[in-house]
Amino acid sequence: MRKSLYETDEAIMEGIRNDDDRALAHLYKLYFPMISHFIISNSGTDDEAKDIYQEGVIVFYEKIKGNSLELSCQIKTYLYSVCRRLWLKRLAEKGRYANRIEDSENYLSLEEDVPQHEENERQFGVMAEALDQLGEPCRTLLEDFYIRSQGMQDIVEKFGYTNTDTAKNQKYKCLQRLKKLFFTSYKPEV
Amino acid sequence: MFDHRIYEQIERYLAGTLPAEEKASFEALLLSDPRLADQVQEHRQVLQAMQHYGKRQQLRHKLNSIHTEMESGSQTANSELIAWKVFFKKHAQTMAVAASVSLLSVFGTLWSVQQMKKPVQQQAARYIELRREVEKIKKEQRAIINGIASADAAAPAPRSARFSGTGFAISPDGYIVTSSHVIQGADSILIENKAGLKYKVTEVHRNTDYDLTILKVEDPSFAGFGKLPYTFKTATSDLGERVYTLGFPREDIVFGEGSLSSASGFEGDTTSYQISIPLNPGNSGGPLLDDKGNVIGVINGKQAGQEGAAFAVKSSYLMQMVREMKERENGAAVSLPQQNNLSGTSRTQQLKKLQDYIFVVKVYN
Repeated sequence: MRKSLYETDEAIMEGIRNDDDRALAHLYKLYFPMISHFIISNSGTDDEAKDIYQEGVIVFYEKIKGNSLELSCQIKTYLYSVCRRLWLKRLAEKGRYANRIEDSENYLSLEEDVPQHEENERQFGVMAEALDQLGEPCRTLLEDFYIRSQGMQDIVEKFGYTNTDTAKNQKYKCLQRLKKLFFTSYKPEV
Repeated sequence: MFDHRIYEQIERYLAGTLPAEEKASFEALLLSDPRLADQVQEHRQVLQAMQHYGKRQQLRHKLNSIHTEMESGSQTANSELIAWKVFFKKHAQTMAVAASVSLLSVFGTLWSVQQMKKPVQQQAARYIELRREVEKIKKEQRAIINGIASADAAAPAPRSARFSGTGFAISPDGYIVTSSHVIQGADSILIENKAGLKYKVTEVHRNTDYDLTILKVEDPSFAGFGKLPYTFKTATSDLGERVYTLGFPREDIVFGEGSLSSASGFEGDTTSYQISIPLNPGNSGGPLLDDKGNVIGVINGKQAGQEGAAFAVKSSYLMQMVREMKERENGAAVSLPQQNNLSGTSRTQQLKKLQDYIFVVKVYN
C-alpha cells in the first residue's frame, strides 16, 4: 500500500470522499493504537476498544460523506474526542464512573456530532430489529431491492416469482409489514 | 385501499422520476389528502432508514475486515508490551513518589546519623596529639624479607618502637620530661639522642591534666647528662616572642621556628601557649625555647585544619610538677639548672649546645 498517498489529513478525507477503501483502511490503522491505548488505560478491554473505535470512525466517515464536517482540528484529535465521549457514555451505562480519565491527547467537547450519531444508532437498532422480525423471504427481498438496488427482473428470477407484478405485490406486502414494525418502536425525536 | 401501484408511484415520486405533469397532480393530491401525505412521509423515512442501515452494515463489515487484517499483521507479543506500557503509565506517578520517598529517607537517615556523629568527630579531629606512629608494618615486612634473604642468620629481628616522641633533660641527674600521651600504654621506654646515647627510662611522675610526664634514666651505666645549658622560665612569656623547638618528627633531629601567637591554648586552655611553628607527629614533648635559651614550654599538639596553630604547655606548670614530684618522692634530688649558657649566643650555637639534651622517646608495647 502506498502510504505516502495519505500523508496529510486532507488526502485521507479526499480519499474517503472518493470511496477509496485504502484511505479508510489507512486511517483506521493509523489511529487505532491511540484509541486502544486510551480505552485500555481507562478500564476497557480490547474488544471494547475495537467497538468504540469503529463507532468513532463511522461518525467521522459519515460526517465526511455527508459533507457536514468542518474540521477545525486534526483528524487525530477529532477521532480521539469522539471516542472519548463514546467511551465515557459507555462507562456511564455500565454504571462505572471513571473519576479520572487518563487523557493522552487534547480533545474537543463535540456537542453536536455525538448526539446526532446516537440518534442514528437508535434508528439503526430499530431497523435491524424490524428486519429481523420480518423474517424471510421478505427481508432479503427488501434488502435486495432497496439496499442492494437490484432490478425487479433479477428479483423475480431469484425468488422464482411468476412475473414482476407478483414480486411487486409481495414487496408491497413486505414493506407494509416493515413499516408497521418499524414505526411501532421508533418515534423520531423532533 | 393502497396497493402496490400507489407505492410505486410514491417511490417514483420520492426518487424524482415522475414525469412533470404526473408529479404536479401527485403533489396536488398530497395537499388534499393528509393520509397520503403521511404515507409518503413514512415511506420516505423507512426507505431512508433502510438505506442508511444498509450502508452502515457495509461500512461495519469493511471496518471489521480492516481490523482483522490489521490484527493478523501485528503479533500478540505486541499486546503484552502495550499492557506493560499501560501499567507503567498508570502507576508511574505512584512509583516515582515511592522512589523519591525511599531515596529521601535513605539520604535523610545517612545525613542525620552523620549529624549525630559530627560533634564527636570534630573534637577528635580538631586536636591532634603529635606522637608519631612509627611505620611499624613496613619495618616488620622489611625484617621478614631480610629474614628470608639470610635464612641461615637465625638472629631474631629487633623489635621496632611502636610510637615515638621527643623529650628533653630537666636535670643533670637523669630526669627527662615528655608529653603524657607519647608514653601512653607503654611497656618500655627508650631514649636516644643525636649523639647515639641510649638509655632505658621509667616513668616517675605523670600529670595528665598538663599532659606532662617525668621520666628517669634507669641505666646503671648512666653517669649524668652533664651541665644543662638552658634554664626554665616560670613567668609567662609575651606575645610575639620569637620561639623555636627541636624535635624528632623523623629519625633525625628537626629545628622549627616561629613566634608565640597566643597566651592561651586550645579552646582557651590557660595552661598552654599557642605558637606558630609548623609541627608534625613526633614533635610532642619537645622543648619550646625563647631567644635567650629559656625553656618556656613543652610542645604537645596542634589544631587540625588550622594553619600554624600549635600548642605547648607552659613551663610554669612543668615547674609545678617538679615540685609535686619532690614532695611525693620525699626530697628526691632534682637539681634544676640555674645558669643559662645559651643567652647571647647565636641561634646555631644554641642549637649545637642544645641538641645533646634532646632525646627521641621510643615507646614499645
